[in-house]
Order: sequence, then C-alpha cells, then structure tokens
Amino acid sequence: MSTQEYKDRQFLAVIGDEDSVTGLLLAGIGHVTSPPDSQKNFLVVDNKTDNAAIEAAFERFTNERKDIGIILINQHIADRIRHVVDSYVKAFPTVLEIPSKDHPYDPEKDSVLRRVRRLFGE
Amino acid sequence: MSSPADNSPSIDDLLERYLTLLDEYTKLRASLTALQSTIYQDIARANFAAERGVRFGQDYYDARMQASRKVGIRLSESTPPQHPVFSVIACAESDEPASDVKAETETDAEIEADEDEKTPKQKKKKKPTNDPLRWFGGALSTPTPLRHAQSQAIQAVEDLVPRLATVSAAMAAVEVEVRRSRKRRAKAEAAAAREKEKEGERGMEREKEGVTQDEHDGGAVAVL
Repeated sequence: MSTQEYKDRQFLAVIGDEDSVTGLLLAGIGHVTSPPDSQKNFLVVDNKTDNAAIEAAFERFTNERKDIGIILINQHIADRIRHVVDSYVKAFPTVLEIPSKDHPYDPEKDSVLRRVRRLFGE
Repeated sequence: MSSPADNSPSIDDLLERYLTLLDEYTKLRASLTALQSTIYQDIARANFAAERGVRFGQDYYDARMQASRKVGIRLSESTPPQHPVFSVIACAESDEPASDVKAETETDAEIEADEDEKTPKQKKKKKPTNDPLRWFGGALSTPTPLRHAQSQAIQAVEDLVPRLATVSAAMAAVEVEVRRSRKRRAKAEAAAAREKEKEGERGMEREKEGVTQDEHDGGAVAVL
C-alpha cells in the first residue's frame, strides 16, 4: 500500500436523502471545487433521482476523484445500486453504509457483515 | 500462537482478532445509528418550528462551500496486518489544520465582538466564516435544534465515522491474512499427505525387497 494511494484523499463524500446530507454538511464536510468544474462531494437523492445518477455519483467518488477518502451512503440508496456497491473492493476510498430517517440500519444488508459471513463460509 | 518457521500469526489468532474487531464494529454501528436518529429528530424539530414553507435542506446550501473537516489517512504501526487508519480533523479557514473546534468557535466569537469597533474597510478584509449554520440564517437566528443537530453531526463525523472506517479496513486486512493462512495450511496439508504417501510407497518397496531377500536366502539355505 503506497502513500500515493491515499495522501490526497482529504474529503468525505455523501450520497443520501436530504436530511442525511443536511446533517452531515452541518458538520462541515461539504466541499465544492473551484469553477469551472464546481464538483460537489455530495448527492441529494430523492424519489425522482434515477439509479443511473446514483451509480454515476458513486463511480465519480470512487474512481474519478482522487481526493475522496470516505464515502457515506444511505443503506436504502446503496440497495438501489447494490451490485455496484458489493463489487467495490478498493481500499480507498472506503465506503460506509449509514441509516436514514425512514430506513433503519439493516445488518443483513451491510456489506461489511456480508464479508464476515463469506469469511465464515455461510 | 506463532509457528516456529515464520512470525505470521495462526488462523485462530487471526480469527480471534477478527471477532474482536467485529464486536467493535457492531458497537460503533449501534452508536452511529443512535446518534443519527438524534440528528434526524433535531432537523425535523427545526423544520417543524420554522416559518411556513421553510425547510432546512438543499435550497439553503452554499454553492461555494468549503470543507472545514477533512480526512486524514495513515498506515497502522501496531499489530500486523497493516491497515489504513482514518481520522477526521477540523481545519482552520486558511486550510491549515486547527487545534480543535473550540478554538474555531472562540475565533468566531471574537470576530463578532470586534465587529462594531472595526471600520468598514477592515470589515471587507475579513473572510466569511465556513460555519454551515450561516446558510440557514446565521448564528443568531438559527434554531436551537439545528445547532444541536450540528454538534451531534460533528461528533458522528469526527469520532464514529473514522473509527468505523478504520475497523472496517482492519477487518478487511485480517480477512486477507486469514485467506492466505488457510491457503498456506491447505498447501502444507497437501504436501504432508504427499510425503506420507511417498513414505508409504517407500515402506512397501522396502518390505517387498525384504521379502525377496528372504526368499533368496531361504532358497540358498535349501540348496545347502
């Protein structure tokens, strides 16, 4: 694991519903890069957001951007792109699924706990 | 227990460490879930108490927001296998790491107190603060539940999230090590089985040779 892989990864990114993103942005993690790119490190997802947009944001945060260290994603949104989240194996950025207001945390769906089951051969 | 041949820990040791990490992960998960539900309640309370039509959400986000809390990553130095250790630290407005959040709050308070004494020119020089509460109406008109939500969110982001990320990374590193150890063990077992088989074959050959020799000696005795 080389230092190059993680030394510039200084931001947290969020993919979540409005309240989840608002809560986390209140903590001061929100960042918009300078124009003309003006790339945000968050995506607010509602009922109208299609899965392709969520997948594109996940792809952008995990592969294209080299300044993201941790990605927080609502578990019910991760479910919508589960195949992409579960096939993601890179160490950086790390992906954490978090509960949302309307969807409590379900350990059965957690990708870390799925890894645990795989290790013990279930 | 380490094998005498190399210093790598045994599978049992690795699994024991893995279960400890899993326990920590589960506890951190429970804490994060509890903390987040408080944040959601506070945001809901703030929205409920707000003026008609006002919702504290994306309509108020600052399009030029700059992160005041950033991720720090380093590699673990303690117990192998090596894994990344995450931290989230508050940064000063000039993009330099701040000593702590309290210092930042004090600076804000001092700036506000000095505002009246300063000339308009001096005021122009002052950089706008990064505090996200300002998007929702500034420090004075922000509802208390929103401020409470902010303090809870800071706790989640500075404490629980980096710890969860670190534990998850440590678990992934142990998983790799367990799989490697299992492969090594399977190879060693296969090699031992082959060795045993060869040993058995050699033994049988020796027995056969012994029998042939006996027959030969027996024949010689008979001739005499």
